[in-house]
Amino acid sequence: MTMLLEARPTRSRLPGAIWPLAALAAFAASGPFLAPYDPDAQDLLRVMEAPSWHHLLGTDHVGRDVLSRVLAGAPQSLGLAALCVALAASIGVMLGLSAANGGRFTRAAIMRLADLMLAFPGLLLAMLFAGFLGGGIWPMLIGLKLALWPQYARMAEAVATGVLREGHVEAARLAGFPERVILLRHVLPAVLRAILPLATFGVGQAIMSISALGFLGLGLKPPTPEWGATINELLPFLSEGFVQMAAPCLLIFVSVLLLTLAGRALATQTTGLNHD
Amino acid sequence: MTTIARIILSRIGQALATAAMLATLCFAFVHALPGDLSLRVAAARVGDERVTSETAERIRREEGLDRPLIVQYGQWMGNLARGDLGRSLLSGKPVTAELAYHTKFTLQLGLIGWLLSYVLALPLGIWAGMRPGGAVDRATEALAVTLASLPAFLVGIGLITLFALTLRWLPPAGFRTFAHMVLPAFTLALSLVAFSIPVIRNAVVEARSAFFMTYARVKGLSPVSALRHHGLRNAAIPVVTFAALQFAFVIDGFVVIETLFNYPGLGELLVKALVARDVPVIMGAGLVIGFAFALVSLLADLARLWLDPRELAEARA
Repeated sequence: MTMLLEARPTRSRLPGAIWPLAALAAFAASGPFLAPYDPDAQDLLRVMEAPSWHHLLGTDHVGRDVLSRVLAGAPQSLGLAALCVALAASIGVMLGLSAANGGRFTRAAIMRLADLMLAFPGLLLAMLFAGFLGGGIWPMLIGLKLALWPQYARMAEAVATGVLREGHVEAARLAGFPERVILLRHVLPAVLRAILPLATFGVGQAIMSISALGFLGLGLKPPTPEWGATINELLPFLSEGFVQMAAPCLLIFVSVLLLTLAGRALATQTTGLNHD
Repeated sequence: MTTIARIILSRIGQALATAAMLATLCFAFVHALPGDLSLRVAAARVGDERVTSETAERIRREEGLDRPLIVQYGQWMGNLARGDLGRSLLSGKPVTAELAYHTKFTLQLGLIGWLLSYVLALPLGIWAGMRPGGAVDRATEALAVTLASLPAFLVGIGLITLFALTLRWLPPAGFRTFAHMVLPAFTLALSLVAFSIPVIRNAVVEARSAFFMTYARVKGLSPVSALRHHGLRNAAIPVVTFAALQFAFVIDGFVVIETLFNYPGLGELLVKALVARDVPVIMGAGLVIGFAFALVSLLADLARLWLDPRELAEARA
C-alpha cells in the first residue's frame, strides 16, 4: 500500500478500468444505429409476442420490437447520466476550487450552501423539478445536477486545500506564477484525479436515478425508449412478457455494475486505498 | 449538556432551512409556470371540460391569487409557519389529514424494511469482518456490489416475478393484509443491505485491529468475548452514523417501492401529487420528508455521543 501511495498515478494500469467504460460509451453511441427496426413502429397484430428470429427479444404491448427499443434508449439512459455527472462535477470542481482559494467569506458561503443542499434528499429535488416543469430532459438534468454538485464541491475543496499548502505550490507562488496558473497546473490535476472515481461511480448512480424517474412517470415520457420509461410501460404486462421486461432491467443492472466496478478500480489505483 | 443543546439547535436549524428552501422552491415553481394558475386550480377541482371563466374568477378571489406576488409569498410562508398547509387541490381535504394517513403506512413499511435489513446485514457484515479477505468476506462483498447496482424497482420486479407470479405465494401489490407488506419490505431491506453490509464489515475490521482489542486478548479474553465486550460497541459508532445517511437512500427507495407495489404511503402520495401538480400536497409531503431527514440525523448524532464518550469530551473541550 505504501508503495502505491508513493508512486505517482500509474498511467500504464489505467486501461483495466477504462475498457468497460469505453464499451459502455460505444454501446450508448452506436445503439440507435444497431436497431433492426424503427423503435416506434407499432404492429397491433403482433403484440406481446415471445422472442423469435424476427424479434429477438419479442414485441411489447403495441407490437414494437423490444430489441430496437432498448438499443434506441441507450443514448438517453447512459448518455444523459454521463452528461448530468459531467455538468455536476464541473460545477462542483469550480465552486470547490473557488472555496479553497477564496477568502474566508467565499469559502463559508459556498461550503454552507453545499451542506444545505446535502441535507436535502437528492431524488426529491430532481422529482420536484421534473414534476413541476413537466417530463423532459432539461428539468430532470437541472434537478439531478443541483442534487449532485455538493459532493464534488466538498471533495474538490478538501483536496485543493491540501494541495495549496504543499511545497511545490509555495515554490510556484514564490516564483511569481499567477494564481490562475497555479490553480490550473498544480491544483486542478490533483482534484480531477480524486474526483474521477467518484464521478465514475456517480454515473452509475445517475443511471439509477434517471431510470427511477422514468419508471415513476416523472422523467422522460413514453414513447421515448428510455429504459426506466420502457419498464414503466411494460409493467402491466409483466406476467405475459418476462423476456421483454428482463431486457431493459438487465441493461440497467449491467451498466451500473460496470460503472461501480470501474469506480472502485479507479479509487484503488489513484489512492492506493481500498474503496468500500 | 451544552454540547447536546448545540447539536439539537443545529439540526433544528437544518430542518428549518430545508423547509424554507422547499417552500420557496414550490412557490417559485407555482408562479413561474406558464398559464393562469386559477384556471389550473379550477381544472383540477371541477374537471377540464367544465371550467368556465366564472369559476376561475371565483377561485382567483377565494385563494387570493389576484394580490401582488410579494404579498402572496408572505402569506404562503406565514401559513406555513403556523402549520397551516392548506387543502389538497384534488381531494379538497386538509393536507395535514392526508399526510397523517399516508405517513402511517410509510412508517410501517420503513420500520419493517429497516429492521429486516439489519437482521440480514448485521450477521453477514460481522461474519465478513471477522476474516477480512476470506471466502465469506469476498462473497458478501460481491453480494453488496450486486445489490448496490440494482435500482429498488428492479429488485421489486424480480421479487414480484418470482414470488407472486411464478410461485404464487404472495400477492403482487396492494395493502389490505400483512402478506401485502412482505414483498415491499423485502425490496426495501435488500436495497438497504447493499450499503450497510460494507459499513458494518469495515467497522468490525477496524475495531478488531485496534489496540484495545490486542490488549483484551493479552489480558486473556477469548476472541469471542473480546469482540462482544470491547469490539462491537466501538464498531457500532460508524454504523450508527451511517444509519442517518442511509435514510437518504430510504427516501428514493420508498418513493419507488410504494409506487411499484401500489402501497398508499407518503411516496406514492408525493408521486400522484407531482403528476397532478397538487402543490399543497407536494409541499406537505416534501416537508415531512425533510423534517424526518433532519430528525434521523439528530438521532444519529445523539446516539454517537452516547456510544462514544470520547467525542462528548472532545466537543466540550
